[in-house]
Amino acid sequence: MADERQAPSAPRANVKMVIDGQACEFPAGLTILEACQRVGSKVPFFCWHPGLSAPAVCRQCLVEIKGFPKPVPSCYTPVADRMEVVTGSPKVLDVRRQMLEFTLLNHPIDCPICDKAGECMLQKHYFDWDARVARNDGGKVRKAKVVDVGRHIVLDQERCILCSRCIRVCNEVARQPDLVMAFRGDRQLLTTAPGQRLDNPYSLNTVDVCPVGALTAKDFRFSMRAWELWATPSVCPGCATGCNIEIHASRNLIRRLVPRLNSAVNKYWMCDDGRLTYKHVADNRLAAPTVAGAPARWDAALAEAARLLGQARDKSPATLGMVLSAQMINEDLFAFSRLATECLRTDRVYLAGSPEGWCDNILVSADKNPNTTGAKLIGGPTLRTAADLQRDIEGRVVTALLLVGEPDALGPLESLQTLVAVSSHQNPPVAAAQVALPLAMWAEVDGSFTNRQGKVQRLYSAIAPAGQARPGWETAVRLARALGAAWTYGEAKQVFGDVCAKVTLMSRADWGKPEMPVQLRFANSRG
Amino acid sequence: MDDPSQTARRVVIGFGDAANLPEADDLPTESMPLNMGPSHPAMHGTVRMVLEVEGEKIRSVDVQIGYLHRCFEKEAENATWTQIFPYTDRLNYVSPMLNNVGYALAVEKLLDIDKKIPERAQFIRVIVGEISRITDHLTCLAASAMELAAFTVFFYLMKAREWLWELLEELSGARLTHSYVRIGGVVADLTDDFCPKLRDILRRCRASIADADKMLTSNRIFRDRMDGIGIITRDDALGWGLTGPVGRSTGLAYDVRKDHPYLVYDRFDFDVPVGSKGDNFDRYAVRLEEMRQSMRILEQAMELLPAGPVLIDDARVALPPKREVYNTIESMIAHFKLIMDGIVVPPGEIYSFTEGGNGELGFYIVSNGTGQPWKCRVRPPCFANLAVLNKLLPRLFIADLVPTFGMINMIGGECDR
Repeated sequence: MADERQAPSAPRANVKMVIDGQACEFPAGLTILEACQRVGSKVPFFCWHPGLSAPAVCRQCLVEIKGFPKPVPSCYTPVADRMEVVTGSPKVLDVRRQMLEFTLLNHPIDCPICDKAGECMLQKHYFDWDARVARNDGGKVRKAKVVDVGRHIVLDQERCILCSRCIRVCNEVARQPDLVMAFRGDRQLLTTAPGQRLDNPYSLNTVDVCPVGALTAKDFRFSMRAWELWATPSVCPGCATGCNIEIHASRNLIRRLVPRLNSAVNKYWMCDDGRLTYKHVADNRLAAPTVAGAPARWDAALAEAARLLGQARDKSPATLGMVLSAQMINEDLFAFSRLATECLRTDRVYLAGSPEGWCDNILVSADKNPNTTGAKLIGGPTLRTAADLQRDIEGRVVTALLLVGEPDALGPLESLQTLVAVSSHQNPPVAAAQVALPLAMWAEVDGSFTNRQGKVQRLYSAIAPAGQARPGWETAVRLARALGAAWTYGEAKQVFGDVCAKVTLMSRADWGKPEMPVQLRFANSRG
Repeated sequence: MDDPSQTARRVVIGFGDAANLPEADDLPTESMPLNMGPSHPAMHGTVRMVLEVEGEKIRSVDVQIGYLHRCFEKEAENATWTQIFPYTDRLNYVSPMLNNVGYALAVEKLLDIDKKIPERAQFIRVIVGEISRITDHLTCLAASAMELAAFTVFFYLMKAREWLWELLEELSGARLTHSYVRIGGVVADLTDDFCPKLRDILRRCRASIADADKMLTSNRIFRDRMDGIGIITRDDALGWGLTGPVGRSTGLAYDVRKDHPYLVYDRFDFDVPVGSKGDNFDRYAVRLEEMRQSMRILEQAMELLPAGPVLIDDARVALPPKREVYNTIESMIAHFKLIMDGIVVPPGEIYSFTEGGNGELGFYIVSNGTGQPWKCRVRPPCFANLAVLNKLLPRLFIADLVPTFGMINMIGGECDR
């Protein structure tokens, strides 16, 4: 984690020091905590976060330095030459235990009803570093348990251990100081600044960084125990930024999305809108193929689609168009583009997608499609736009259409003689289509998006496709075969290989290792 | 006396004597396959034996096990260290406490807390273990006697077993599947009147066992069916890895409690009975005597039983008391972590073995430092003991199979796991 950070601007001399009896060398400017992490010495912390500034308030990371009169916070102290650090001396362990005892003194007995239980840093540190029974038998200081602090967030002030991570997320990531500490001593509490609500576009990051269950997401609250979730790496489909995420799913339903570290794209963060994109996956899906509006079997629907498209092609390829969406993965885009040129013999390929939206200079892009870059690279210079499509339909230049993905704006569909839709959702074009084929979505397939920086990023299948939906490239292959081509793609990786071979700017992209969902219970506390 | 089939049989048939009949080999017979089990009443524990018989004589035998396979070892890899106790109950299900103790000791050695188990817990483990050894032997002898038509003996011994199990039920809440032992001790202290009750039960058990002894040991029919049948030599016992009463019946005086003392067994005065001939009768006699020795251990243990806690004082191993869990955050967290993540056992491997009802019960455990075992292999004593049947049964009569198999005391739950 720490080595993902930017190196100090000016190259400085390395420092030579000793950590737990081990001689080591680090670049100057590193903190002792980061140095300890590099050599594998365990130092716990609550308030320190690799993506935030270090206020040294939790006092968990105290270590002893030879010659120093008292333990120092390692998250705050830079390494220095000839420093001798001890992370596990009896004194350090004792101080750490005393601090934990303080932290637990007024902590409510909420684990059975707390959303964070199972991925809670307080639980983890108590068990690892304290594990002693309680010594206080007095009551606890009570604070407000349900504070509606923002659009997405509920605050439990009792559970808060006052680490201030959330305050720093608001200040340093969202650049909007919504949260503050009020009062002192055991009455100290986290609250919103006067007249403020925690409504910044990055507010849900406070829930991630909260080491305990003080800040909880309204969306996820009480819906699922953390240890029953299975985590799969993926990429947010919300905009062209392509924030790296983990999909947390259970029983084939996505329960939440959380950011995954990628220092070149999103660091540790993602926006609130992105987190809610998962809702679209379970909503109003096209579950089975349809022919003339009635449910049909896959092979029957494919045969009918191939017949209609073949007929239109043979009549006049110039009036046959294909619409692709910038929401689609590279593999689907490539397979359908190939279908257009090789089997349908048309160059009328249009790129549609979601309309532009709001943006900022932090993470959110105005382009709300995750794969516009990939679509443009694969489609090449002949790719037409959604405006072209509308004009061509209205002008009756295009009378037959293969519609893939979910374009938001289309012309009047009744003028089309042939309409075949490959779609993930029930929508007006599906209702109007002679044949509709269900399409698996981003969270259900192995594939890749190319973000606004041109980075090709992998998606892994986290849940099974809804109903009988299949990945788009697979549908393209079956259509191609039905139209007489002899394509041999058997898995997304092979399509990806061809994408890299054909698209120069993606030639260095890597499919990467296979990733399996990991149950959070066995991935240990996330912290 | 070397060849049992030639010398040891004197079976009276009608008015004649079997010995005066022409040799069985001379009779015109042809070999015939015969299935016994897996649901034959004498094949307790669900085992199948495919015999090749010539008349009444067994020519060869193929013992087929696995009918009670429950994936113990694989299941264990998907359970926390504590969740495995109920599975161990179902290994040798006539002496569950011994399995509980054997497994707990293995994990404790890996955790390096085996020297820190409270003394009272160690005594209690000895007590419940020896009670289980008695119930194990009672079951074996009762069933075998019944199969040789001594139904009265069956009732006498089963009744004694029931008294002991009722006591264990009072202690643990379950008659058979006790799950009473925990890593770090036992789940609860003895009930208030446990020792007086046990003393009373032992007195009655002694009488039952004495009755059974009288009805069997000097019983002509019983002796004829047991003496000289299924002889195992000491060398064979070593070669086949036979332990427990089966191994000791051959004169091999190996008892883990004596040779590698664990818990507090080195503080008790008890003898290890051994046989001289290695036949079915010796195995019967060894078991009978072992029950008496177990009773001696029980009486001494009750005498020496120290006061004190019964569970280790370590929040990372033992579940905190419920009162603490509900009222303090510290114990709540400890409880949560122990239940959800399991006890964190440092990476390593261990082979730990104890004297089970049937012999050396071993657990080979590998930890990768998580709350679940990476591997939990069991060395079930009756797996090795059963293997010798392939050598033992040929040339015996079909009728001899039943007591010979009975005295090997195969327990499917343990053998097949």
